[in-house]
Amino acid sequence: MKKRVVLLLLLLALSLAGCNLLPDASMQDRTVSDASIWAMDTQMDLRLYGDTDGTVMAELTAILNRLDHSLSATSPDSALTALNESGRTDDADVVYLASAAQTISAQTDGALDITLLPVSRLWGFGTDSYAVPEPAALDALRDRVGMDKLTVSDGAVSVSAGTMLDFGALAKGYAADLCRAKMEEAGIAGILSLGGNIQTVGTKPDGSDWIIGVQDPDDMGRYLLTLRLSGSASAVASGDYQRFFMQDGVRYCHILDPKTLSPVRGSLRSVTVVTDGGLKADGLSTALFVLGREAGIALWQSMGDFEAVWIEADGTVWITPGLKDRVVEGSYQVIEP
Amino acid sequence: MNNIRRGRDSRPANTADPSRPAPHLSTKVWALILGAAFLLLAGLTAWQYLGAKPAARAEVWVDGVLKQTLDLSADGECRIESAEGWNLLTVSDGKIAVTAASCPDADCVRCGPQNSGPPIVCLPNRVSIRFTDSGGVDGAVR
Repeated sequence: MKKRVVLLLLLLALSLAGCNLLPDASMQDRTVSDASIWAMDTQMDLRLYGDTDGTVMAELTAILNRLDHSLSATSPDSALTALNESGRTDDADVVYLASAAQTISAQTDGALDITLLPVSRLWGFGTDSYAVPEPAALDALRDRVGMDKLTVSDGAVSVSAGTMLDFGALAKGYAADLCRAKMEEAGIAGILSLGGNIQTVGTKPDGSDWIIGVQDPDDMGRYLLTLRLSGSASAVASGDYQRFFMQDGVRYCHILDPKTLSPVRGSLRSVTVVTDGGLKADGLSTALFVLGREAGIALWQSMGDFEAVWIEADGTVWITPGLKDRVVEGSYQVIEP
Repeated sequence: MNNIRRGRDSRPANTADPSRPAPHLSTKVWALILGAAFLLLAGLTAWQYLGAKPAARAEVWVDGVLKQTLDLSADGECRIESAEGWNLLTVSDGKIAVTAASCPDADCVRCGPQNSGPPIVCLPNRVSIRFTDSGGVDGAVR
């Protein structure tokens, strides 16, 4: 009995150490570089390990600033604005993103649509004058939206007259992919938070996993779930709690349903996607939020190359089975495979 | 003597009094001790990772630049000006809140008083309030 007890106490001590409740000296000895910049209308926090001369941090900052400029839908001289005004561009970033959007849109039955900029503005997003538009005003925009209004061929993107693209659902994920590639090329580990899009790269100096918190939509100061991620991974959330307005007691969020041209209204508060690529995680999180839980689960079953967390309005948290062993803390239910 | 029983092993463990059997805690008692220890571990983990651990200071970032570090034990108010507008920060009872702001959506105000967890962000004014103690969390998905 005594041996068994000693063994159990030993296991307890080991699990305490595994949970990082015991101090770890090795982390203190490594070079940690932190930087924050404002880009793509959000704060981006970068933490790198081992970037002793600051070269990689400078390169990442340059990437983010470049994309902030070229992918802005509001900057008058951006590559995206040039496309939206002239109907055509061969800017490499824009072409890549338009092509990726076509792929994800096809995979998600059109739930991801990057042509909704005029509709979004009609609802007041990006203009600061929010209002529920008249149905006739929405209908008037229908011939300007739809993924069939854009063409990618011969290294260029073309859009129909009046169609405008917005990469809000993809740009930060794309930026994360480019930053990750640069870090891996330099052999630098770190964690990037691009406005709440998390990109981990490599392994922490002490060898422990990255701990990621999924924000509680009802309490901004709390995590509903914390997850343990290994190596390089992307985690992106889409929800109705970051950008929205209230009218007559109804919450209107910034994520629009391409079918109704209206803000998504359903039982979900947020969807988080965990996968191996930032662009994929970004696009899929938006699409899954639009689709709702049941259709989202069906998509997860058919694609099988990502993990997800659905948070419902009643606080129920659903996770895919692949995340079960990665939960550090939080209550959840597991989706049946 | 209710919780002490004679062990199956009859070896004399108490050398001072060989005639007396070694006092062994019952399996039930050990199970209770271990159960309590695991509950404590679970509580500590939740405390560490779910944002309940209060931070001592909050950093105020404007447009990606650290402007101030506020001591959350010192009550007071401070107005943060940015190119896009202003935010009034109030520190009280160890927490910080954006109590008024010029932004149109007031998401930052709705966050309420906080002292841990994800940052309070005012996107229109480009203001972010982060807590110096992350509670063991490397990044917040939001």
